[in-house]
Amino acid sequence: MLSFFQMLNDLTLSATIRESIWISPVVNVLHLLALVVFAGAVLIVDLRLLGRGAREQPLARVAGDAQPWLIAGFLGLLVTGIPQLISNAMREYYSAFFWFKMEVMVVALIYTFTLRRKVTLADEARVGPFWSKVTGLVSIALWALVAIPARLIGLFT
Amino acid sequence: MPFLRSLFEWVDTFPTSIALRESQFVYPYILTAHVVGMCIFAGLICMMDLRLLGVGNLRTPFSQVQRRLFPWQMAGLAVSAVTGLLLVYGQPMRFYSNFFFWIKTLMMVLAGVNALAFHRTTYHSVASWDSDAAIPFGAKLAGALGLALWAGVVVSGRLIAYNWFSRT
Repeated sequence: MLSFFQMLNDLTLSATIRESIWISPVVNVLHLLALVVFAGAVLIVDLRLLGRGAREQPLARVAGDAQPWLIAGFLGLLVTGIPQLISNAMREYYSAFFWFKMEVMVVALIYTFTLRRKVTLADEARVGPFWSKVTGLVSIALWALVAIPARLIGLFT
Repeated sequence: MPFLRSLFEWVDTFPTSIALRESQFVYPYILTAHVVGMCIFAGLICMMDLRLLGVGNLRTPFSQVQRRLFPWQMAGLAVSAVTGLLLVYGQPMRFYSNFFFWIKTLMMVLAGVNALAFHRTTYHSVASWDSDAAIPFGAKLAGALGLALWAGVVVSGRLIAYNWFSRT
């Protein structure tokens, strides 16, 4: 893994990003904007799972409407995350926050596109309010554990 | 602005302000909480403005999106506002001399004016377009301005860290 990160760090593209005064800030800002879209699309559904938010509407409808923004937001985060990773590969490799973020992110992604998706599409009466709430709370907890260490990578290096 | 400058300089001398900027851990954690507040506030504002613009969450009537998300938007705003004020409180002179801090402040005021103007005009007729595919121009404009201004707040907020155009 270390040699892979060293290889990323040594890419010409990584050096170009590091040496530019504007690429990193621009990518950084776009990452945040994608985060806002993603967080909104996650939360609007999680609130509905908790029995709050747009509770007059069926869960499947709220989740279905949010889905394209969830995917768009995540793709935005991915596309803007990769340049930040490769240009700071060694910093990321030695950051415990980075690894924590990545591990939780894998879990959160799998959870969101399997279990959570299944619950949002299922018959609400069959799932029941308790499991619906659990599904929403787990989602909020997982994504918060991705976002919080992410901010801390840059603050403690 | 001499008044503002002396206000920031005065806060800068408070022992609690000094303690905050010298703390190794408190300041980064406040910054992190500020980002969490932003996710809740800006995320849910974004979902509402996409609905206003007519590009997202279209199967829910606008008034429901607005009314049901509002308390959560305010909760997110409260977290962002309290942590944001603490960040400024801890380093007043850094923010006073930062170009993007003032751009961010200006954009927040404009975003507030946009929301207020929408509620005082187009929102009065919401019953007639709540579930319609055809959203009135005033509502679309408010949605587009909301998205642009809050994006501007997020962007300039992030750019404060880069210190460009700062006078120190």
